[in-house]
Order: sequence, then structure tokens, then C-alpha cells
Amino acid sequence: MSVRREDDGTTIVLDGHCAVEEAEPLLQFLQATPAACLDWRQCTHLHTAVLQVILAARPQLIGPCGDAWVQRWVASNVL
Amino acid sequence: MNALHEQFIAEARELIHQATDDLIAMEREGFALERIDRVFRAFHTLKGSAGVVALPAMGLTLHAAEDLLAAIHAGKLDASSAIVDQALACLDQVARWVDDFEAGGALPPSAGEDARSMAAMLRSLLSESGVTETAKKSAQRSSAPAGRLPKWVSRLIESHQGRIVDETRESPAELFAFSYEPDSQCFFNGDDPLNLMRKVPRLLAFHAEAHETWPPVADLDPFACNLRLQGISAGGHAELADIFRLVPDQVRLVEVPLEALRLDQAHGADDDDRVGLIRVVIEEQRQVLRAANQGDDMIGRIGAVSRAAANALRYGGLQDLADAIERANVAALSERNAGHLLSALDQTQALLPRASSAVPPDAAVVSGSADAQVEEAERPASRALRVDEGKIDALVNLAGELIVAKNGISHLARRLQDELEDRELARAVRREHDAIERLAGEMHAAILQLRMVPLAQVFRSFPRLVRDMSQRLGRKVRLVTNGETTEADKAIVDRLFEPLLHLVRNALDHGIENPEQRRTAGKAEGATVTMRASRAGDRFIIEVIDDGRGIDPAIVRRRARERGVIGDDELAALPDDQVIDLIFSAGFSTAAEVSDISGRGVGMDVVRATVERIGGRASVISRVGAGTTVRLDLPMNIAMSRIMVVSAGGQIFGIPMDAVTETVRLAPDRVSRIKNNDGFVLRDRIVPICSLAELMKLPQARAPGSDARLVVVTDISGKVIALEIDAIEDRLEVVLKPLQGLLSNARGYAGTTLLGDGRVLLVLDLKEILP
Repeated sequence: MSVRREDDGTTIVLDGHCAVEEAEPLLQFLQATPAACLDWRQCTHLHTAVLQVILAARPQLIGPCGDAWVQRWVASNVL
Repeated sequence: MNALHEQFIAEARELIHQATDDLIAMEREGFALERIDRVFRAFHTLKGSAGVVALPAMGLTLHAAEDLLAAIHAGKLDASSAIVDQALACLDQVARWVDDFEAGGALPPSAGEDARSMAAMLRSLLSESGVTETAKKSAQRSSAPAGRLPKWVSRLIESHQGRIVDETRESPAELFAFSYEPDSQCFFNGDDPLNLMRKVPRLLAFHAEAHETWPPVADLDPFACNLRLQGISAGGHAELADIFRLVPDQVRLVEVPLEALRLDQAHGADDDDRVGLIRVVIEEQRQVLRAANQGDDMIGRIGAVSRAAANALRYGGLQDLADAIERANVAALSERNAGHLLSALDQTQALLPRASSAVPPDAAVVSGSADAQVEEAERPASRALRVDEGKIDALVNLAGELIVAKNGISHLARRLQDELEDRELARAVRREHDAIERLAGEMHAAILQLRMVPLAQVFRSFPRLVRDMSQRLGRKVRLVTNGETTEADKAIVDRLFEPLLHLVRNALDHGIENPEQRRTAGKAEGATVTMRASRAGDRFIIEVIDDGRGIDPAIVRRRARERGVIGDDELAALPDDQVIDLIFSAGFSTAAEVSDISGRGVGMDVVRATVERIGGRASVISRVGAGTTVRLDLPMNIAMSRIMVVSAGGQIFGIPMDAVTETVRLAPDRVSRIKNNDGFVLRDRIVPICSLAELMKLPQARAPGSDARLVVVTDISGKVIALEIDAIEDRLEVVLKPLQGLLSNARGYAGTTLLGDGRVLLVLDLKEILP
């Protein structure tokens, strides 16, 4: 599982290769704890579906994103 | 010659080169539409520029070529080698005219006639294929005016303008905007639309948004794609179409005419806003400069500040002000004084509002002239500052003298300590010396940096050469160049053309087999010659690699024997990999017969000699049947040499450090007598010892056979010899001056340099004096 929530519920962490099936748990975490920050520094690859959840929910991000392409093109000018 | 003419000459040459490169690439890699388009544009711009400087003959010729290319572009005419030939011939003619124009300010009297016949030739190719006049007309390109671009495209351009303008200035290309709305079910098909985005070549702008407004997070369906992904790419239509080939129904591609960028630049944002932005940038740069100490980072800061300011000014179309900043940059760097740049920035601030309300000076020319000038704005503005080479050389010399003067202070410190025994003062002087040494060194480096040019300057002539030669030889050869951005001192780069030309000719003429031979050998018919440059510390390497027949050591041996290049015993003892090194020997040529491509008496020995003269080394590796690699190992610059000052026979000499591999102190029992020469064993190798005093015909200071002997081990073209000396006096970095006047023919010396105490030091050319 590449998406997890820290025990205190304040931070959701994306780690490693985040594939399409991570979109649902990520969304559930964000629905359950809308104020949680999202730490995507360790994420090496972000699937479109996961990015879509982030774009829709707009959590506060702890960057830079570990996926260089996303950092370059999404983090800096879309989000 | 006025500035407009100078500009024209420089740009025309650039365009001719570019069009030549593209034509050759086109012929080799296929007549892709975008390539034809680039060539067309180059011709078109050339024609326009010729009009501006009033050279109607040139215009006439180029116009005919342009029609031809337009017909190809419109698909009315098939591109062929004959057309490429003629287009290249046209460029050759134009290049000659540019030379004439530079020399005499006018075209030769015959130009009109030449132009007419050239144009007739070009048009005959056109009519041969039955292209009609109307077809030619319809081939004129038209791009959608910027006003009619879809809104999303304008938005993309606006949000990434700086980058897009920069990128297209660096290397102009067709720009395409895409809008991709992946199917909502695409995740179930295993698609990852972002992956397609990652593959987009030369992406310049990107935006992602909801296709339909995002629902509340609670209602979001994570597996239904609701995205719109948009971007601008300079990678070309074909590549984009290829990337989106599986989802054509979900993608829109829109060509972004380069004019759209420029229009946006001129009218897109409010001019006052633009000036305001520039003002802010300039103010920031001033602060950055003021915050700098006179410390180490000064040079870096000056460079960064001037770059940022100049870019901002160019962004606003204020080319003149940007140029002024760059001039100030050079002054500031050479004097290590940020004051120049600071005052230039102040001046710029003062000039800004006026410059914005008036038309920028460059634009005055643009608006008044033909369409060629309109295109000018799209082309990469040259950021180079043209400075007469002599001025830079004067700076290099001054910096060199400064370093010599600095060495004098070091000598002074020694005298203070030795003669006056004032350690305190000596230490203070030495401290000052260190500071000056650092500054002088940095200044020298900064000035040398001015002389650095990319190897592209030599490499760029080769595609054409290889094309012509391979046609003449009836061989299919592809030239691959690599690492042409590697930089080196102009003096070195300028001298590389001939050796490289010789190596490439050799590769084509002797290295590469005939197509039939290659087929028989089981190789691809088309051969590859690679020119590769790379940096290695403070040196750089150029390799010329072919995949031809390789060099057969047996043939080299036979020929070396026939020609008496080397003694028979010595030859027999040489292993194969060293035998092929003999091709660099004088009077050696492996070609069976003298051809008109190479082998006209100029051999590989000249290559080696030329390379060694500029402080480089040439070596060769080859495998029979697999090909040959000639490797040139070169210094980045030649102005400074590191030398070791040694004494022998009561005199001092300089030895270039690049020949010295190590110094060894030999106990008497390590030295053995071999035949009638002394030698010793160093890492399983017998190294002969030569006495420097003896070589220089000086009296031996040391009684033979006494205590430890000091030797400097030198490696000259692979030959290891130990040079016996009395003592090592010093290690210096010096500017070597060639011997002059009566001494200029004296053999054995690489040059002279002035020592800190005013003595002249003779620096030895070990290659000459060692047996």
C-alpha cells in the first residue's frame, strides 16, 4: 500500500509508486480527515487517478513531490 | 560597414549553416514536413534580409529556391537528392556573396548573371515536375492569426510565456497546443493519461483542470476520469500525433503560429505592466548586487544578475538595453568590479519608461521593412557579444603579465625572510601575495572564459563534408556528432578543423568499406562515423569513430618495415596495439593508392603534430573488421602552462608539468647499469635515466656513483624516461612565450618565461631534447 495515514491523523503520506488503486483509499482518507496534510515527497510515480483526487480535494501539500514530472508541471503551476 | 550590415552578415551565415544542416538531415532522415518547413523558413528569412540590405541578386536566387521548397512543402513536388543538391549549391552561392559583401560592401559584377542562371536552374527543377503557377501560389504558407486562437491556447501561452519565448528563441520549432480529454472510463482500461503527458517531447506549457466542475469531495468518483490535460509542445506534429495515436478522438491539436507568441508579447499584456515587471526585476538585481561582498561569489553574482536583467529586457523587446547590460557585464567581470553593472542597471531604470512609450529602436526597422524582419523576432536573438579577438588577447596578455608580476612578490617575501630575516613582514607580504594570487587567478580564468567557444563551431562543417565525400566515394555514410556544446579556448578550437578534417577523410576513404564489402562482411550497408566530444576535468576529448574495416596491425608492420619508420628489432618487440600507433609516424600511409580525398602526402603525422603543438595527445584504437577510434585528448586552453623549475649543471630550467609523471629519489643501489646507460626499475618497468646536465652539455655537478640521485620521470608520447636533475627549485604557473628573434630557430626549447627575480627561465621541450 503506497498511501497511508500517520497515526495522529494529521498527515497522509504517499510513498513510492502510486498506482490507480491508491486513488480510492486516498479519497477515503481525505473524506475522513479533510484537514490532513498530504506528504508526497516520497512518491516516485503518481497515477492520473491519484492526481485527480488531489486536484479535486486540494489538500494542503507537503512537497516537493518526489515524482519529478509532477513537481515540474503540476505542483508548480496547476496546484 | 554599418551595424545593420554586420548584423546581416552574421545572421546570413547562421541561416546558411542552419539550412545546410537541415537539408542534409532531410536527405538522410527523410523529408519530414517540419524539416522542409524549417529550410523554407531559413531561405525565406535570408531572402528578406537580402532585401533589407538591398542585394537584389541574392534575393532573386533565394526567391527561386524558396518557390521550389514551397512546392515541396505543399506536396506538389517530390523532394529528391537532385533538389537538395541544387538547394545546397544555391546556399554555396549565397555564402560566397556574403563573403564578397563583407569584403567589399557589394556583390561582384557577375552576381546578376550568376543569380539568373542559378534561379533558372532552380526553376527548371520546378517546371520539370509540371508544377503550375497556381500551385506555387497556394503553397505560400499562412498561419492562423493570433486573434483566432482558441481561448485555452491563449491561456496556456500567457501562463508559460517566458519559457515558450525562451525555448523558441533557443531553437525555433513548430509549436502545437493539445487538449486531451481522456474518456471517463479510461482508468478501467488500464490507461494512465498522465503517462502520455510525460512522453510529450519538448513540453513548454501544461495545465490540468476538471472537465466538468468537481463535485464535492464526498461525491467524487475516484475511478471516473474527469480531467482535461492541455499543453504546448515544440516537439513537432508527427511526434504528438504518434503519442496520441490511440486516443485520436479525445485530443485536439492546434498549431500555434510563432507570430501568436510575438503578438502576445507585444500586445498581450498591458505594456505598462510589462515595464513594471521589468522594473521590479531590475530592482531585484540591484539589490542582489549591493548585497554582494567583494568575495568569491562576486563573479557568479555579476553573471547571474546580468543574465536575469538582460533576459527581462529582451522579454520586453528592449534589445538595446539588454545589450548595454551585457557590455557592462563584461566590463564588470574583467575588472571584478560590480560598479559597472550597477551603474548600467541604474541607467536602465532611468531609461525604462521612455523606452516603453516609444517604439524600441529595433522595432523601427522591423515595422518599416519586409516580412523577413517580422520573422526576425521569432528567430533566436543572438546573445553573443561580438568583440574583436585582438581585444580579448590583449586582456589575456595583461592578465598573464599580472601573474608574472605576482610571482615577483613571492620572491620578495623570500628575500625579506632570507636576507633581512624579517619573518613578520615576510609573512605579511606573503599574505598579500596570496590574495593577489587568488584575484589574478580568478581574473585570468574569467578572461579565458571569454575565449571559450563551443566545438559546434568546428563540428558543424562536417555533415556537409561527409555528405559530399560519401557521394563521391559511392559509400553510404551517416555522420553522428555528439557533445558539440563542449567548450574550449578559441585558439584550440580554431586549430582543430584541419586535424579533424583529416581524420574524417581518412575514416571515409580508408576506414569505411564499399557497400558490397560491407554486405559481404555481414555489416549494414550504411556506415556510421561518429564525432564525439566530451569534457574530462580541465581537458576535453574528441573521438572520431568509424565502424569500418579497422586497421590491420600486420599491414602496418609490413609498411613500417618497408618505409623504415622504425628499427626492425624495435618493431618486432612492439605488441599489436602499439603497432597501429605507428600510423602517426612521419612518412607513413596505409592507403594502397593516393586518392583525391585523402592521402595527398599529408599524413596522420601531421594530425599528431598539430594536436601536440596545442598541448594535446592523439591515440588510436582499432579492431580489425569492427572499426577505428582516433582519440584526441586536448587542453581546454593553452594560455597558461604549469612548469617545474629544476636545476642541473648549475643552471635552472623549466620542465612542462604535463610531461612529468612523478619525481623519484633513487638510492644508489636502485640504479643499475644497462648496456652503457643507467636505468632503474619503476613498477616492473625499466626506465632509462638521462642526465639533464649531460643533455644540455653542462658540467656534471655530482660525482657519478655518489649518494641518492633525483630524477623526474617523464612520459612523452608513451615513452618513459627519467631525467636526472640536481634539485627541484619551484613549481610555477607561467605564461609561456615562444622564443623570438635569433633564438626562434633554437631547438629544444618550448619557450621562455620571466621569473619573479627578473631572470629568464628557458622552458625545455622534452620531446626535442630527449633521445
